[in-house]
Amino acid sequence: MSIATELAPAPGRRVGLMQRVVNHRADYLYVLPALAVMMIVIAYPVYYTLELSLFKTPANLQMKDKVYVGLDNYVTILTSQSFRDVTVNTLIWTISSTLISFLLGLCAALALHREFAGRGVLRAVLLVPYVVSAVAASYVWKWLYHSDFGVIGALSVQFGFTDRPINFLDNLYTVLPSLIVVNIWREFSFAMIMLMAGLQTVPDQLLRAAQVDGANTWQRFWHVTFPHLKGVSMVTLLLLMVANFNSFIIPWVMTGGGPAGASDIWITQIYQLAFGRQRWGLASAYAVILFVVLMTLGYFYVKALTRGDEARA
Amino acid sequence: MAQVVLREVVKTYGNLYAVNHVSLTVEDGEFVALVGPSGCGKTTTLNLVAGLMPISGGDIYIGDTLVNDLDPKDRDIAMVFQNYALYPNKTVFQNLAFPLKMRKLAKPDIERKVMEAAKVLDIVHLLKRLPRELSGGQQQRVALGRALVRDPKVFLMDEPLSNLDAKLRVQMRSELKRFQRDLSATVIYVTHDQLEAVTMADKMAVMSGGVLQQYDSPAQVFDNPVNTFVASFVGSPAMSLVPLTAVTRGTDMSLQSPEGWNLSLSPANARKALSASSDKIVLGARHSTVRLHKQASPGAVPGKVYTVEPTGDITFVQVYLGAAVVVVSLEPSVAISPDEPVWIEFDQNKMHLFDGETTMALKAA
Repeated sequence: MSIATELAPAPGRRVGLMQRVVNHRADYLYVLPALAVMMIVIAYPVYYTLELSLFKTPANLQMKDKVYVGLDNYVTILTSQSFRDVTVNTLIWTISSTLISFLLGLCAALALHREFAGRGVLRAVLLVPYVVSAVAASYVWKWLYHSDFGVIGALSVQFGFTDRPINFLDNLYTVLPSLIVVNIWREFSFAMIMLMAGLQTVPDQLLRAAQVDGANTWQRFWHVTFPHLKGVSMVTLLLLMVANFNSFIIPWVMTGGGPAGASDIWITQIYQLAFGRQRWGLASAYAVILFVVLMTLGYFYVKALTRGDEARA
Repeated sequence: MAQVVLREVVKTYGNLYAVNHVSLTVEDGEFVALVGPSGCGKTTTLNLVAGLMPISGGDIYIGDTLVNDLDPKDRDIAMVFQNYALYPNKTVFQNLAFPLKMRKLAKPDIERKVMEAAKVLDIVHLLKRLPRELSGGQQQRVALGRALVRDPKVFLMDEPLSNLDAKLRVQMRSELKRFQRDLSATVIYVTHDQLEAVTMADKMAVMSGGVLQQYDSPAQVFDNPVNTFVASFVGSPAMSLVPLTAVTRGTDMSLQSPEGWNLSLSPANARKALSASSDKIVLGARHSTVRLHKQASPGAVPGKVYTVEPTGDITFVQVYLGAAVVVVSLEPSVAISPDEPVWIEFDQNKMHLFDGETTMALKAA
């Protein structure tokens, strides 16, 4: 008999939180090591970022010289033009990457759902972008886009689309779309896998019933398949969105946020503020804003995940 | 409603015949059960009629139309599935309206037809609910309703009752039969439960290994099974089958068991036995036509009680005659215990004889 059960209060009696903790002290003891690790690696950095966001920090990393400025950092960020520009970039980046990746993934999943020769091979090939290192892929794409040596530029000249190779990455208007293409290429297969798993849960009999009821292919998809994919679609979209808000590797490796900030998104901006310009306080405030946005998304993610359970309960 | 004709229908998967030259006619307003064990091709046959899979050979007519190459939606059929196959995200009303909506009926027409069907099935109060909020029986009715609203030429039903519990199944069985009668609907009904087939169907098609074994009224199938498969499949408990050897002694003919006992045959049965392709004969007997004696009795053959199964008003006794098992039904008052030696008497007028080689029922030559 454990301590916990010995000391457990009689059912029906309300007990305070502290009393309950004391009653279950053995249980807490067991999770303490894990809790301690979590505190050190997660809770402390979060706290320290919050703290730093309220200070003006010296560039020389002498944190003892930091000056308390209240919410000044937040005001500076939220009122700056660059924040607005970067936010617009981030939204364009996140929304278009997420939606197009999802739609492409859905098409791929639907195409791969029916049986045909070579399906397994195709599925494996489509997974490659998701599996290869993002840094390596970014370098490869940088070369593909290169204005002098890039395959894409050469082909577009050869096929007569353009007179001379486009300088994709060194142009204010083409740089962000070009990076988004790379991002979509990388992550659409994630959506594909998720949706393929979802497709397997669509009951065959339901599709047959719809067929007998007179639904054509599109109507069967819309009335039977798609409703079944709702849950997994929500989860996929949210995961993609969080990942895209947090993107760093592709823009950092390929352009570093340039030219002239045209491909700067929140994370690259934060990185530059912190490690480029040593503005730790400002960067921390920026990170806190991003944190709030992501936590909001995270809330909806958990809600979407548990919605099915509530419905069943 | 309409007649359905299957002519030499074939469905193959590679070298495997899932449906092997099946021909049968379902008359207008008839309730036909396709029955057989798992994998006998009954559901495949139904799917071929529905058009859910391409046919490999033969012809299917619904009414006067050859439907081989028609889409399911153009065949004017409605189907009821084993798992009901209700659209989980649609209300009962939307489920019932779906086939009409797909046919682009006007809204008032859809509403009228759905209400009609809902009234017939007594599900009006459920129209706003989602399928998951319904009991199995209610879901079954909705599935039936979705078939009804269409007013199709043929109803195809794929084991529609097998997900229900035993009590509800019996109840729905009679309701289903009643609907069919009231609508004089043409129904093709797939089941693995021979009892469902016997109780509901005007005709039953017994299938095995993709081949149609017998197509006749349940009474005919029960009384005159064409072969040992049908004999052992239809009826509960199944017909007892005893493999024996025919022996002729002068003008008398008898069946001899490996254990050595002899069973004399009546002249009529002897004539049947003579038409067999060899001396191997299988004797078949329903439990109700077999008598059990506790003492040796003329014409009775010796056996040993294996199990006693009281069911309330009838007690079934399984008796080993050598290696074969014979089921006998007794009054529950008869005291009998396992391993007791008993004697079995077959009714010469009601016994069945099958060819031991071809398994076909023997007829007097």
